[in-house]
Amino acid sequence: MSGRFLDLTIAIAALVAVVSLTPVSAGGQTPAAGEKPWNPPRMPDGQPNIQGFWANQGRRLSTYNIEEGANETHVLLSGVQTDYTSLIVDPADGKIPYQPWARAKRTETLDNHTNITKWEYIDPHTRCFLSGIPRIFYQGTFQIVQSPGYVVILQEFNHGSRIIPLDGRPHVGGNIKLWMGDSRGHWEGNTLVVDATNNNDKTWFDLVGDFHSDALHISERYTFVDPDSISYEATFEDPKVYTRPFKIALTFGRNVRGEEAKSYELFEEACHEGERNAPNMLYKLESSNR
Amino acid sequence: MGNRFIHSAILLAVVSLAQVAVAGQPQAAEPQTYAPPRTADGKPDLQGVWQVLNTAAWDIQDHPARLGVPAGQGVVEGNDIPYQSWAATKKKENFDNRLTADPVTKCYLPGVPRITYMPYPFQIFQTANSVVIIYEYVHAVRTIYTDRPHLPGHIDFWSGQSRGRWDGDTLIVDIVHFNDQTWFDAAGNFHSDALHVVERYRRTGPDHIAYEVTIEDPKVFTRPWKMSMPLYRRQEKNAQILDYECHALEEEAGGRLK
Repeated sequence: MSGRFLDLTIAIAALVAVVSLTPVSAGGQTPAAGEKPWNPPRMPDGQPNIQGFWANQGRRLSTYNIEEGANETHVLLSGVQTDYTSLIVDPADGKIPYQPWARAKRTETLDNHTNITKWEYIDPHTRCFLSGIPRIFYQGTFQIVQSPGYVVILQEFNHGSRIIPLDGRPHVGGNIKLWMGDSRGHWEGNTLVVDATNNNDKTWFDLVGDFHSDALHISERYTFVDPDSISYEATFEDPKVYTRPFKIALTFGRNVRGEEAKSYELFEEACHEGERNAPNMLYKLESSNR
Repeated sequence: MGNRFIHSAILLAVVSLAQVAVAGQPQAAEPQTYAPPRTADGKPDLQGVWQVLNTAAWDIQDHPARLGVPAGQGVVEGNDIPYQSWAATKKKENFDNRLTADPVTKCYLPGVPRITYMPYPFQIFQTANSVVIIYEYVHAVRTIYTDRPHLPGHIDFWSGQSRGRWDGDTLIVDIVHFNDQTWFDAAGNFHSDALHVVERYRRTGPDHIAYEVTIEDPKVFTRPWKMSMPLYRRQEKNAQILDYECHALEEEAGGRLK
């Protein structure tokens, strides 16, 4: 190794050693977003190293109904006791600012989601369709993998994924609609800024039918606030369905740490291959319509 | 700064000498082994968007054209798949019923190695302890850890469980823990849950990987056998994988998804 490369390698190793020695906080030692910034370990290409296994944490914890957080039904389903708070932080009332026709459609799905009389009432997840954004983040554990010029998100549920190039290339053409959208990202300090376009209209935000059109445009900010936390904010714009943009906030926690993380792995979740509820529901609907 | 200038001067001198030495001699043959660019931790860089250019997804052996299926020279070494005699009968039965019996017609995961040679691109990423491959076809994912053994089994995975190691410049991937639900192609070539697959990936140039697969399954075959094919780097500017949400497309065609 030439002298300059060796110096850089030693500097990076020293930085990693310092960060590793910093205790993972239980007490109030870690800076919250906006306070004194911390210097994260880095990937070889300079990105902050956010690799690892993460999951949505805290009060806004639900794939059931994003306007209500974990309500009573979700607690019964999952056995998890949480606070009941909307994922939506803007508008302040925590409701998606639907156009009236869209609110009516959403209410119809909500009213019928436990008594399926039409295929349109079936949650796409039940049919093992992809989660879309942001549902990929609150449907179980996800893994972040980084390589030069890329952030990659791997979802254990249904082996979903998002590939986020960081090289500033343009989005794909507007006629290409994708289940997980088309993402482009760049780092601003410790914040990953991602722009997601080219979404199709087939994913839901939750189980009770919160939806969007293929005009959906998502602006995300992932702020790496301490070794085990990412503060996530995302703005959703869809002029075909909403009267104005709305914003959600989530906190991702590193949910596998230390020694356990060294041997942990996501398993294959062959959703469609094993799924029988949706075909049975659809078959029953088709026979009852004859 | 000084170092870099001296390095450039030396390089220039070496190149000039080489040109003088080669003048008047027949052109040298291409090097036997390509020296690929390396990742930050010194491993051959396999990253990028790749795809096969053959008809193996339809039939891994030599075959004439069939309606909807291009003719193809096979990818099986010796063109012979050494089935046990009961299994050769089963293969014929699979072939006769392939339009409904092929698991891919139900949009199921194609298994390994069929996912490699489905006619869709895939993208390879490398980290310090893994190689991650994301396939456009039904968004299949394989994470090939290079730092640990297989878990104890048997586990029934559609895509098996992959573990990798480097042998010189070749990535060797060892895969066990398969179910018996996938086929090797659309012609009915099949396996049991005793399947053991070993893949080899080796860069042979800027835009090619030599991909070789050894298949072992003592419940179905009389001996191991091999397939091989090139992987081609997609050349388009800003090539990326898109999606093929197979069962959603089927539901849409059936009027059960708008």
